[in-house]
Amino acid sequence: MAAERVRLLLLLLTAAAVFMAPVLLGGGAVYSAAVLIAIFAVMAYGLDVVVSDLGEVSLAHTVFFGVGSYTTALLSTRGGVGSAWLTLAGSVVVALGFAAVIGLVTLRLREFVFSLVTYAVAVVAMTVAANWSFLGGSDGLRGIPLLNLSVPGLPLTARNDKDLWPFAFALLVATIYLVDRFRHSALGSAAIMTHLNPRLATMSGIDPARVRLQVFLFSAPVSAAAGWLYAYQRAYVSADVLENYFLILMLTAVVLIGRRQLLGPLAATALVLLQEKFFSLGGDVDKIVLGSVLVAILAFFPQGLAGLARPLAALSRQRAASAPTVTTLEN
Amino acid sequence: MNLTQQIINGIVLGHAYALVAIGWTLLLGVARLVNFGHGQMYMLGAFVTWWAVAKAGVPHAIALPVAMAVGALFGLVMQRIMLKATLEQNLVSIMIMTLGFGYVLHGGAALVFGSTGQILETALSRHDIQLGELWLTWQDAAIVVAAIVVFASLRWILDGTRIGRLVRMVAEDPKLAMLAGVNVRRVYYGVFAFEGAAVAFAAGMVAPRTPILTSMGFEEVIMTFVVVVLGGIGSVTGSYVAGLALGLFTALFGALVSPAYTTAAAFLVLIALLVLRPGGLSAAPAAGAH
Repeated sequence: MAAERVRLLLLLLTAAAVFMAPVLLGGGAVYSAAVLIAIFAVMAYGLDVVVSDLGEVSLAHTVFFGVGSYTTALLSTRGGVGSAWLTLAGSVVVALGFAAVIGLVTLRLREFVFSLVTYAVAVVAMTVAANWSFLGGSDGLRGIPLLNLSVPGLPLTARNDKDLWPFAFALLVATIYLVDRFRHSALGSAAIMTHLNPRLATMSGIDPARVRLQVFLFSAPVSAAAGWLYAYQRAYVSADVLENYFLILMLTAVVLIGRRQLLGPLAATALVLLQEKFFSLGGDVDKIVLGSVLVAILAFFPQGLAGLARPLAALSRQRAASAPTVTTLEN
Repeated sequence: MNLTQQIINGIVLGHAYALVAIGWTLLLGVARLVNFGHGQMYMLGAFVTWWAVAKAGVPHAIALPVAMAVGALFGLVMQRIMLKATLEQNLVSIMIMTLGFGYVLHGGAALVFGSTGQILETALSRHDIQLGELWLTWQDAAIVVAAIVVFASLRWILDGTRIGRLVRMVAEDPKLAMLAGVNVRRVYYGVFAFEGAAVAFAAGMVAPRTPILTSMGFEEVIMTFVVVVLGGIGSVTGSYVAGLALGLFTALFGALVSPAYTTAAAFLVLIALLVLRPGGLSAAPAAGAH
C-alpha cells in the first residue's frame, strides 16, 4: 500500500500547489483565469467519464452545463432563492431529469447515431434557449445575485473572482475525488468492461444498457455543477453557454493529455485557458488553434500527450508496476 | 396562410435539404464515414460563393465551381489527416476530428470573411416566377432541378458504372476490396472530395435563400442528420424522399406553428422515429458495412 500512500501524498501536494498558484501569482486576471479553469475542468470531467470509461461520445454535455446555469439563474432571479446550496440542488435534480430522458431515448443507439442525436440535442437546446422568452430569449437572464453558500453560523459569500476561487477549487477537488471513486467502483469497472469487451460484460451478468444509463446519470450532474458556478461567476446567463466552444473545449480537455488520466482534463483545460487568457491571438485565431489541437492530437497522438511520456517513463523504471488501464478511442 | 404556397415552399425547401445532405449520404452509405464538420463546410461553400460573386465580381455560374473546388480541396485535406483513422474505421476519432475541423473552419471563415452576416444574391434569386397568387424565385426552381439532376446522376453512377461498382465494393467490405486490388485509399479520398464539392455546390445553390453567417454551421447540420437518418442511413433514394418530406413538414410547421422552432420540431421527428424503430436504425449501418 506504499504506492497508494505516495499517490495520495502527491495528489495532496498537487492540490496545495494548484490552490496556492493564483495566490502567489496574484492579480485579478489570474484569479479569473483560475476560477474559469476550475469551472471548465469540472464541466469536462462530466464528459470524461462518458468518453473515457464508457467509450461513447456524448455531445450533449453542453446541455447539462447549460441546465446548471439556467436552473441557477431561474431559481435565483425569478424564484428569489438566495442560498446557492438550493440552486445547486436544483441544478443537479434538473440535470438528472434531462440525463434520464436523453439517456433513455438514446439507450439503444450506438456509436455515431448516439453522437448524432446528442449533438442534435445540443443544437436544439441552443435554439430553444435563444428563442424562448421563459429562458430570457436572446437577452438571457440578468441579475444573478452573488454566490452565497452561508450556513447557520458561517457566512460564505463571494463578491469577485478572488473570493470565488476557494469555492471553485473546492468544487474541482470534490469532482476529482468523485471521478476517482467512480473509477474504483463497481459501476466504473462495469463501464470499462462494457466499453472494452461488451460480450464479456454481458456474460459477467452486467446489463450494458443499465450501465450506460447509470454512467450518464452520474456524469450529467458533474457538468451541471460547473454550470451552476459559472452562472454566479458571470452573473448572467444566455444561450451562449450552449455554444459549440464549450463542446470543443470539453472534447479537447478529454483527449489532450490522455484518457483515464485523473488530472488530464484539468491540465488540458488549464493549457487551453492559459493560451486564451494570456496568449490570445484574437477570438478567431484562438478557434483555429483549439480546433487544430483537437484534430492534431487525435490524428497524430491518439494516446494524448501522456502517450508521448509513457515510453520514457517505462524506460526509467524497469520494475513492472501495474500500469493503469488506459483506454484510447481506438477500442 | 395559402396552403398551396406553403406546399411550394416545402417542395423547394425539401430539395434544398436533400441537396445539402447528398454528400453525407454518400459518405455514410459508401465509406461508412461521418462528418460533423458538414455544417461548417456548407458555410464555407456559401461564403466562397458570396466572395466570388460580391467581391471578385464573377458570375454565379463561375463562382459555383470555384466554391466546389475549395470544398473538394478541404475534403481531401481532411481525409489526408484522418486517413489512418479511416482505414481503421475508428468512427469515434473521426467524429471528434470532424468537429475539430468544423471549428477551425468557423474561426478561419470569420477571420477571412468577417463575422458579419452577408446576403448572397444571384441573377436568378432576384427574379420571381409568378403563378397567379403563387410565387417562387428562379433560384428556387434551379434548386429543385439541380437536386433532381444530382440525385439521378448519383444513382446512375453508383448502379451503372465501374466507379460505382468499386465504390460499392469498398462499402461492402474494405479489406476484401483491398485484396481484390481496389485502391481503397483512392476511393476514400474520392468520397471525401465529393462530400466537399457536393456540399459547396449545395451551399452555392441554397444559401441565396437566407442570410449567411460564419456561425451558421453549428445549426445547419441538423437537417442533414434528419434527412440521413429518416432516409435510411446511406440510402440515396431514401435521402431524396426524406428531404422532400422534411421540407414539407418544416414549411407547414413554420407557417402554422412557429418559424423559430422548426429545427426543434424536425429534431422531435427524428427522436420519435428513433424511439419507434430503434433496432432498425442502429442495425442498418452495421448491416451495410459487413
